[in-house]
Amino acid sequence: MKHHTLKTALVMLLLSAIALGQDVASFEKRITVKKLPNGLTLMICERPESPVFSFFTLVDAGSAQDPLRATGLAHMFEHMAFKGTDKIGTTDYAAEKPALEKVEVAYAAYIAERDKTVGRDEAKLTQLEKAWKDAIAEADKYVVPNAFGKLVEQNGGEDMNASTSYDETEYHYSLPVNRLELWAYLESERFLHPVLREFYKERNVVIEERRMRTDSSPFGRLLEQFTEEAFAAHPYHRPTIGWISDLNTFSATEAQKFFDTYYVPSNMVVAVAGDVTAAQAMPILEKYFGRLPTRPQPDETTTTEPPQNSERKVVLKDRSQPIYIEGYHRPDYRSKDDAVFDAITDLMSEGRTSRLYRALVRDKQIASFSEGITGYPGVKYPHLFAFLAVPLPGHTPQQMADAIHAEIDKLKKEDITDDELKMIKTRSKANLIRGLADNEGLATQLATYQTRYGDWRELFRSVDRIDQVTKADIRRIANEVFVDTNRTVGEIETSGGGEPASGEPSNHAADQGGAQ
Amino acid sequence: MKTKMSLFLLVLTASAATFTALSQAAAQAASWQQIPIPSLPAFKPQQPKRIELANGMVIFLQEDHELPLIDGTARIRGGSVNEPASKVGLVDIYGEVWRTGGTKTQTGDQLDDLLEVRAAKVETGGGPDSTTISFSCLKGDLDDVFKAFTDVLQNPEFRAEKIDIAQKELFDGISRRNDDVAEIAQRESVKLAYGANNPYARNAEYATVAAVTRQDLIDWHGKYVHPNNIILGVSGDFDSAAMEARLRAAFDSWPKGAAAPRKNEVKYSPAPPGNYLVPKDDVNQSTIHMVGLGTTRDNPDYYAINVFNEAFGGGFSSRLFNDIRTKRGLAYAVGGGIGTNFGHPGILQVSIGTKSQSTIEAIRAATEDIDNLSKQPITDDEIQRAKDAILNAFIFRLDSPDKILAERMTYEYYGYPPDWLDKYQAEVKKVTAADVSRVAAKYMHRDQMAVLVVGNTKEFDNPLSSLGPVKNIDITIPPPPAEKEQGEHRGEESGKPAASNPAGQALAAKVAAAMGGLPKLKSIKAIHVNISESDSGGPPSPIDVFLAFPDRMRVELQMPQGNLTIVVSPDAAFMSMAGMGSRSMPPAQKTEMLSQLQHDLIYIAQHSDDPTFTFTAAGTEKISDVDAAVLDIDGAVPWVRWYIDPKTGYVLREKYKGVGQAGPFEGETNLADWRSADGLTIPYNHQNKQNGQETSHAELKKFELNPQLDPKLFAKPAETPAVKQ
Repeated sequence: MKHHTLKTALVMLLLSAIALGQDVASFEKRITVKKLPNGLTLMICERPESPVFSFFTLVDAGSAQDPLRATGLAHMFEHMAFKGTDKIGTTDYAAEKPALEKVEVAYAAYIAERDKTVGRDEAKLTQLEKAWKDAIAEADKYVVPNAFGKLVEQNGGEDMNASTSYDETEYHYSLPVNRLELWAYLESERFLHPVLREFYKERNVVIEERRMRTDSSPFGRLLEQFTEEAFAAHPYHRPTIGWISDLNTFSATEAQKFFDTYYVPSNMVVAVAGDVTAAQAMPILEKYFGRLPTRPQPDETTTTEPPQNSERKVVLKDRSQPIYIEGYHRPDYRSKDDAVFDAITDLMSEGRTSRLYRALVRDKQIASFSEGITGYPGVKYPHLFAFLAVPLPGHTPQQMADAIHAEIDKLKKEDITDDELKMIKTRSKANLIRGLADNEGLATQLATYQTRYGDWRELFRSVDRIDQVTKADIRRIANEVFVDTNRTVGEIETSGGGEPASGEPSNHAADQGGAQ
Repeated sequence: MKTKMSLFLLVLTASAATFTALSQAAAQAASWQQIPIPSLPAFKPQQPKRIELANGMVIFLQEDHELPLIDGTARIRGGSVNEPASKVGLVDIYGEVWRTGGTKTQTGDQLDDLLEVRAAKVETGGGPDSTTISFSCLKGDLDDVFKAFTDVLQNPEFRAEKIDIAQKELFDGISRRNDDVAEIAQRESVKLAYGANNPYARNAEYATVAAVTRQDLIDWHGKYVHPNNIILGVSGDFDSAAMEARLRAAFDSWPKGAAAPRKNEVKYSPAPPGNYLVPKDDVNQSTIHMVGLGTTRDNPDYYAINVFNEAFGGGFSSRLFNDIRTKRGLAYAVGGGIGTNFGHPGILQVSIGTKSQSTIEAIRAATEDIDNLSKQPITDDEIQRAKDAILNAFIFRLDSPDKILAERMTYEYYGYPPDWLDKYQAEVKKVTAADVSRVAAKYMHRDQMAVLVVGNTKEFDNPLSSLGPVKNIDITIPPPPAEKEQGEHRGEESGKPAASNPAGQALAAKVAAAMGGLPKLKSIKAIHVNISESDSGGPPSPIDVFLAFPDRMRVELQMPQGNLTIVVSPDAAFMSMAGMGSRSMPPAQKTEMLSQLQHDLIYIAQHSDDPTFTFTAAGTEKISDVDAAVLDIDGAVPWVRWYIDPKTGYVLREKYKGVGQAGPFEGETNLADWRSADGLTIPYNHQNKQNGQETSHAELKKFELNPQLDPKLFAKPAETPAVKQ
């Protein structure tokens, strides 16, 4: 046991070394937070490494806020936020505005006829569809396509993108620092005067995104079914990308309403990190973002997922190779045990010393990959701790389940070792440091922690919380959470499928393989 | 609150922009134009210090004191382009096992423990042109981590069990490679652009992966890993003088070796222009890649090509994005351009993902965009926008010391001048509309492109043949080599050299001694054991086994339905069931039974000094709390691996390959409860697993040495249905 003592001593040394370098105090000097009268939170992190900056705008609304019958709407609005404003992207907004209103009127008439359960008039429907499309063509006359994105690109914008998750919507890119004011204008204008032009064409783009990520991907198909099964009541059961019928139905009017409700200054945090000083930059940011009108904080309460009391399972019989997932309900991120779940994630999944790698990949040699992660599919509401395993050829999802359960049983019955606990704690500190190494990472983390906890310092305190985790905590949580009645299973079972129905010769693509 | 980035989240998060971009005059008169854009502060990015050791090793040192971290990467000449066609996958396996297989003095698992407790990494990898080894650590751990780094760099051991794991992972990748439509399209379009057998395009197959041996990895390392083939870059929180001293101390005395070629002579045979189809009926979106051969970055056209790419297919401003995504709503993912690389030509391509029902429409639209390049040349305004985008974003190529270091290492590796990036900036500024038109006309020709479609043909708007003749691409995965061949090459497959090593012979002798000594073992001609065996859930059933070495075996099982007898001998191999007569055994099963006989502990221990057996020590592996010595046995018997307790000399575990009713399996038997009787020490408890699943459990009840065995026991009964009581 000598080497254990030695290892422990080393770890202690290491911990004190890290604590000296990167703590809250050193960041206090570099970070300025200001809450504007309209409720919007601005953050600036000074990082004078090179003359560039990154920003991260976080809107605390995601697909969990999608209205019934309009799944995918939060994500749809995110796409529309690249379509410009009343000044950017139009040749004549005074003429475009009424043209866009006509599109909405025509679309509402078309949808009303299309969705009639009794007495639909096909001739009228054709006519209404044409009227809607004609209205679109009329509105399109005033469009300067992609003017917003072009402006950002022409100014050197880097990594321009945005994403929507169940919990939130975020926008980000980086620019040379001499474009700070231009950016402040563009980013505030985007949420001050958004114009939802080219909505129905962009909806087709989103449908293509759905086909790519979900419909045409075996793992995408499995995850959608698995997530739907795991949540019976909470909106997490609905896909962020949206169900196809909703995508084919919702309107620009509904997207505008979503924006009006949730893109409210008090629901937004904008963080900037880079070669800026708060003294110079904050007044610029205030000037532009202060223009957003104060609006009431939206009601984001939803149904709480009731306790699960029986195991659930989805089996996707697919032409592709097998995959295994299982998830267990856990409380939301504000739980006092949140750090315990983080510790279990690290223990089970991080690197080649992780328990799942060692058991399934190295020792049993039944999987090519396995991990256990928390935070699926979001964190804001009670969610899942999920385990995933990719079986090697000749091995079955059931073997994955058995091997994962054996590891879970070990967590329940035996304390983790001192070395493991120390390793988890060291890594949480080192990972924190590695995450501070670039502007994008800093802006992302600061905005996220400010949104979720109301204080960016929680980023540093999260490491302290992991430091408090005990062996008993890990056993307790494993025994409480990882029980079969709280489990949802999803698996792909390889099935031959039929011959392709087309007249062209088959490749039997997915039927082949298997190393046996 | 942690949302770990993983496969899960990547799929879940939906994003707005993927690639890529037309242009319009900024017709809007608005306030952003009045926003002042001050000139960018003067910025002199810090260049790394370059050092060349006498042995040819090139070192770059880049200080960066922002965070208490130190990172290093060595890039080594020689990559998968240089592996033999019969062993594609070698460099992938090498890249993994270089690290996981450990060093002469530490196993990979021991390295994992050492590094992870420090939150540090030492990793290796294989790529097309080079292999890499890197480290990352908190600066306080540099001594320990650098030591591990140099140990892996210079003294890898490539332990066999990790080769097994790496091969299985590649087999897994092969078995899954037709599951994902994007992967199919990517792989097959590269083959169309470069030629199917081109080393940048070819795929690993079951056979080529299985052909890779441990000796191949050792040979690869010996051939390429010399200081004169290495470029090492280190960045982070250190003092350059101290770091230089450290690196000189570690590498100055490392002798030069054979230099790897600086450039690979590679043949490119693009597929003839035309339409290529991979039907896939479980998707509702077609993936379209229109491809041709691109060029390299030392081509003088490179700068004009980059401006062209930005304007034609590179972002929100590009013609493809504006036409196919924004105007027509046909795609989420669309982009393209004339691809370039440092060391070998890139791929010229236009790629689109569109619903099955607009497949042909999208190809026609892209065709129109390409053909339009000559009818409506890219305008001055588009060119200005593209140049602005490139030049204003130029700063992001050098906004961190790490990026500058990586750029410099790349130029060094491919023989580009160290100030290539400065030149790049100057040259892009000079590009004119005429330059862009010239490169468009020179490279982008629709009628010279191979058009690949992966999609659900029955849903297409029109058959692909409406665009011209169609060639179907067969993506069937070649099955693994036949079982027979595998049997013959079992030793090779498990990565073992053909000869014993001294450590291996010593281990075998140790086991023999622990079992009672070689003279005692050699006195055993036959045994009879009575076993109580239970498989999952069932009640235990008694079994009698008679072994007469080397090749006769009789097994009698008492089952509820009656007694079952299995006999294998040189003259006969059959099974007989009470009341049901006897049946000959298929040859494969006979072989399997014989190999079980030859895997018997006593049989192998008897031959621990037999030169026709190979005994190879292969490091250690943890079995419960014991650092068990791993011994591979091969040669006169099919491969079997023993895990030996170094203290007692007992075999704790056996691993072997078997064939069962469901096909080949990985067999494993855990041995315990060692007892001595009659001067022989053997395990009384056997736990059997197949493919990691527990299959049965056996207890030895009775044990008899050199029993009197009637030869009739091994003879096939004439007509009588049942056999012995």
